[in-house]
Amino acid sequence: MPEARADNVLMQKIRDGDLAKMAVLFERHHRALFRYFLRLTGNREFSEDLVQDVYFRMLKYRHTYRDGNPFTSWMYQVARNAHLDGVQKRKGEMPLFEEGSAQEQASAEPDPSEIVRRRQDLGLLRRALAALPVEKREVLVLSRFQNLKYEQIADILACDVGTVKVRVYRAIKALSQVFFELAGEKAS
Amino acid sequence: MKCDQVKEHIADYLVGALSPTEAEELDEHFAQCTACKQETAALSETWEMLGLLEQERPSAQMGPRFYQSLEAYRQGIQAATPAPAKRRFFDWGWQGWAWSAALLIGGLGGGQWLGQRERGQRDLAGLQDEVHHMRQLVTLSLLEQQSASERLRGVDYSSRVDQSDTPVLTALLHAVNHDPNVNVRLAAVDALRKFAGNPAVKGTLDQSLVRQDSPLVQLALIDFIVDERDKAALPSLAALERSPTADRNVKEKALWGLSQLQ
Repeated sequence: MPEARADNVLMQKIRDGDLAKMAVLFERHHRALFRYFLRLTGNREFSEDLVQDVYFRMLKYRHTYRDGNPFTSWMYQVARNAHLDGVQKRKGEMPLFEEGSAQEQASAEPDPSEIVRRRQDLGLLRRALAALPVEKREVLVLSRFQNLKYEQIADILACDVGTVKVRVYRAIKALSQVFFELAGEKAS
Repeated sequence: MKCDQVKEHIADYLVGALSPTEAEELDEHFAQCTACKQETAALSETWEMLGLLEQERPSAQMGPRFYQSLEAYRQGIQAATPAPAKRRFFDWGWQGWAWSAALLIGGLGGGQWLGQRERGQRDLAGLQDEVHHMRQLVTLSLLEQQSASERLRGVDYSSRVDQSDTPVLTALLHAVNHDPNVNVRLAAVDALRKFAGNPAVKGTLDQSLVRQDSPLVQLALIDFIVDERDKAALPSLAALERSPTADRNVKEKALWGLSQLQ
């Protein structure tokens, strides 16, 4: 059985009372969810709390899961709500985005100066991503990092596929602009 | 294809989802329009760079936290499920009394037959004993695993053996004192609470406290010591409270523990 269909079946069983099956869905998806929140918030601790919140909400609202509804889309819908509520609660507390660890994959080039330059670029890119409005960052995270198809993203964001494509274009353009601005500042 | 139409296709271009016809039309446009070609190249480069950002992993605490929450949630659901309503003895009515009389007569008549069943009951007791030994074996075996998550499962599994099980108790105490993983040590402290009141536990908590280097485990142990009213641990608490190297929170907790026990 393909994994997506297996997830749907598992969630149906959970909805019907077999709560222990949530452990399987946790093992399959918690890392992806963590990265989704980390890219949105930039804060590891907060992201881990949000992942726990998503699984708690999926248990609590399991009766709202409908047969035939793709589990992944439903899970990200729950995750979006958890993120919105979490950010709302944290208003006024410490800012979210932390300074990254700069451990990004280095280029295969043996030249150390090239590796340093690449790391600097990735650091700038991370800053540019953090500087984007959250709705632009979110569509990039879903399409680039979570490897979701535009149809799935449309389902999650409750819009049509054409709108998703337009948003992806605008988001990557905005990211590119901010990145080159930051790179220009650094060079000058 | 016009410049505006190119923008509509960029998202598909980035993920390689263009049809062959669309790809061909785009290439034809790029051959005539340098601006679109340059913009698409720049966006494509940014898109590729995003793929190089680190794929971070959650901390090791995340799994145990989830499993604890799931278990607590399941227990909460079970506790919230209403039990069948109990009826009082004298509310049975005449049908109840008739059934009781029939059962009494049947019980007397069946007594002799039950005598023959004694052997069967011995078999059942033997089976229960076997289940207990199997649980003990699983717990001990898991607690000896290389993987911390397996040892955590072992600690969790220990809740299925009864309180008088000395080998499991010894293994849990060993985990509290010597396991290299903080999560396993913390879980083992919690699991030991099932053995509360056992002299083997009470007499060793202060030694465990002295051995710990993790403030989290120290805090959990102080709570346990106070709950157990283990006054033998007073010197260890006092030493911890005075220690210049101990964590500030641990020192405060030790002071609190002293005030509770004295």
